[in-house]
Amino acid sequence: MTFPIEIESLAKTYRGKKRMQVEALRELSLNINQGEVFGFLGPNGAGKSTTIKILMGLISATAGSARLFGTEVRQAAARRNVGYLPENPALYDFLTGREYLSFVGKAFAMTDGAIAERSGVVLEQLQLTDAANRPVRSYSKGMVQRLGLAQTLLHEPELYILDEPMSGLDPIGRSLVKDIIRQLKRQGKTVFFSTHITADVEAVCDRVGVIAKGKLQALDSVDNILRSGVEGYTVQINGGGDLAAHGYTQLEEQGGMREFLVPKDQFNDFIAQVAVEDGKVELIETKRKDLEEFFLEIVKQGNVSA
Amino acid sequence: MSLNTLLILNIRWIIRDRILQALAAVSLFLIMLVPAISAFSMRQTQELAVTLSLSFVSFTLLIFALSLGSTIVWRDIERRYTYTVLSLPLDRGGYVMAKFLAVALFLVVAAALVGSCSFIAIFISSFKYPSQIPVQWGMIMIAIFMDTLKYMLLAAIAILVTTVSTSFFMPFFTSIAIFMAGSASQEVFEFATSEAGTRVSGVVRLATRVIYYIIPNFSAFNFKLQAVYPIPFDPKQISYVTLYFLVYTALTLSAAVWIFSRRELT
Ligand SMILES: Nc1ncnc2c1ncn2[C@@H]1O[C@H](COP(=O)(O)OP(=O)(O)O)[C@@H](O)[C@H]1O
Ligand SMILES: [Mg+2]
Repeated sequence: MTFPIEIESLAKTYRGKKRMQVEALRELSLNINQGEVFGFLGPNGAGKSTTIKILMGLISATAGSARLFGTEVRQAAARRNVGYLPENPALYDFLTGREYLSFVGKAFAMTDGAIAERSGVVLEQLQLTDAANRPVRSYSKGMVQRLGLAQTLLHEPELYILDEPMSGLDPIGRSLVKDIIRQLKRQGKTVFFSTHITADVEAVCDRVGVIAKGKLQALDSVDNILRSGVEGYTVQINGGGDLAAHGYTQLEEQGGMREFLVPKDQFNDFIAQVAVEDGKVELIETKRKDLEEFFLEIVKQGNVSA
Repeated sequence: MSLNTLLILNIRWIIRDRILQALAAVSLFLIMLVPAISAFSMRQTQELAVTLSLSFVSFTLLIFALSLGSTIVWRDIERRYTYTVLSLPLDRGGYVMAKFLAVALFLVVAAALVGSCSFIAIFISSFKYPSQIPVQWGMIMIAIFMDTLKYMLLAAIAILVTTVSTSFFMPFFTSIAIFMAGSASQEVFEFATSEAGTRVSGVVRLATRVIYYIIPNFSAFNFKLQAVYPIPFDPKQISYVTLYFLVYTALTLSAAVWIFSRRELT
C-alpha cells in the first residue's frame, strides 16, 4: 500500500560557514494516511519546514528517504498531485492574482478552460475576487497568504502540504483556513500541515505528530491524547460525612456544598464513599490536560533528553 | 509545455521591469543623437556614424546581457520565489533553460530595435555627408548579429555564475571580469606566443594559454571593422564563430543546469 506521504529515517544536517553544522532533522519516520488531516506540531526551529522542503524537493536529505504517493521526492513528478503552501509565501509580484493562478495551472498541465473556471472558484473561496486583476505587488501579507492557499486548491490535488497556513492571517482568515481544511477532509483529501499553535491542531486534526529538536517526540490521534489527558474530576457534593478524612482533597466549601478533586483511578471508590456517607453528587467536571499542556510537556522532555 | 509556460512567465517579467523599460527608452533616444555627433567630425562622417552606432548597439546589449543574466535567477532566490516555482512539478533544467531563452529572446528583440534605429541614424549621416565608400548595410547587419550572439553567450555565463552564488555582486563582477578577459584574450594570447612573449616567464605564458582556452574568446565575434571599411574577409568565419557560439553556450548552459539541479534551496 502506498501512502500519500512516506518518510523513512529522514535526516538533515545543514552545513554552514566555518564548518558550523546544524542537525535540523534526525531519524524522522512517519507515514501519512489517505484522507487524514495531520498536524505537524512543533516549536520554532523544530525542523518542520526542513521536513516539508525535503518533501517538496527544494532541499535534499542528508540521509533517509521520502516518497509522495510512492514516487521519490527528488523527481518532479512526485509533486504532480500536491498543493504546497510555503511558510510566508512570496509570489511573483509582477503578475496579477489571476495571472499567477493561470501560471500555476499551466505548470500542472490544466487546460485553459479548467484554469479559468477553477481560478474563479478558488479566488471566490479565498475572498480575492475583487483583487484578482490587481498585481500581487499591491496585496497585503494576508492576501498573499490567501492567494498562496488558492494556488494549492486550484488543481484539486489529493494531497495538501501546508507550512504554517494560519500564520499571518487575522482571525477571520484563520477560521477560513480551518473551514477549508475541514472541507478538504470531507472530500477525502489528505492534509499535512505544520503549526506551533496547539489550538489549530485541536480544531481540525485527526492525528498529530509532535516534533522538537529535529526528532519526532510523539505521534497519536488527537482523540487519544485528549482522552489520556484526563487527570481526574472535580466533584461537588451536597451533605455527606468527613470525606477529607479518607484522604480526598477538598477544594472548597460553600454552605452545604463541598468540592473535591478526585484522581482518575480513585473515582469509583470516591463515589462509593459518598454513597456510604449519604452525600449527594451535584456536579462532576472532567479535569484534563489540554493539548497545549501535553505539547509543552513533550517539548520539555525533548529538551531534557537532547 | 512547461518550458513554454516558464518562458512566457520570464518574458513577462522582463517586459514589465520598470528599470529595463527606462534603459530601453534611454538607449533608443541616445542612438538618435548619432547623426548629430558624427557631424562634428567634419570628415569621414559616415564611417564615424557606423562605428558609433555599432559601438552603441554593442554597449546597449552588454548592459542588458549583464543586468538580466546576473539577476534573472538571483532575483528568484533573493525574493524567495523559488519555493513557489520550483515546488511545482517543473524540472530545474527547464527552469534554467527558460531563464536563458527569455534573456536571449529579449537580446534579439533589443538588437533588432536598437539596430533598426542605428540604420536610420547611419542613413541620415550618409545622406547628409556622403562618403566615397558605399554603406556596407549587409556587413553592418552581420556585425550586429554576431554581437547579439556574443552577448547571449555572456548572459549564459552570467546565469552559470548565479547558479553557484547567492549574492548579486559576485556574479555581476565575475561576468564583467570574464567579459573583459575574453575580449582581450586574443591579443594577450598572441603576445604570449610571439617572439616578444618569450621574455615573459613560462608560468605566465602557461597561465595565459589555459585562460585563453577556457575563457570564451569574445573578440572573435567582432566584425565591426569589416562593417565600416570594405575589408575582404572569409565568409566561412561567420559559420565558425556561430558554431563556436553554439558549442560554448551549450556547454555553459549544461553546467548551469547540472549545478542548479543539485542546488539546495534553503
Ligand atoms: N539554511 C540553513 N542553514 C543552517 N541552519 C538552518 C537552515 N535552515 C534552517 N536551519 C536550522 O534548522 C533548524 C530547523 O529549522 P526549520 O526546519 O526551519 O524549523 P521550523 O520550521 O520547525 O521552525 C533550526 O535550528 C534552524 O535554525
Ligand atoms: Mg518553519
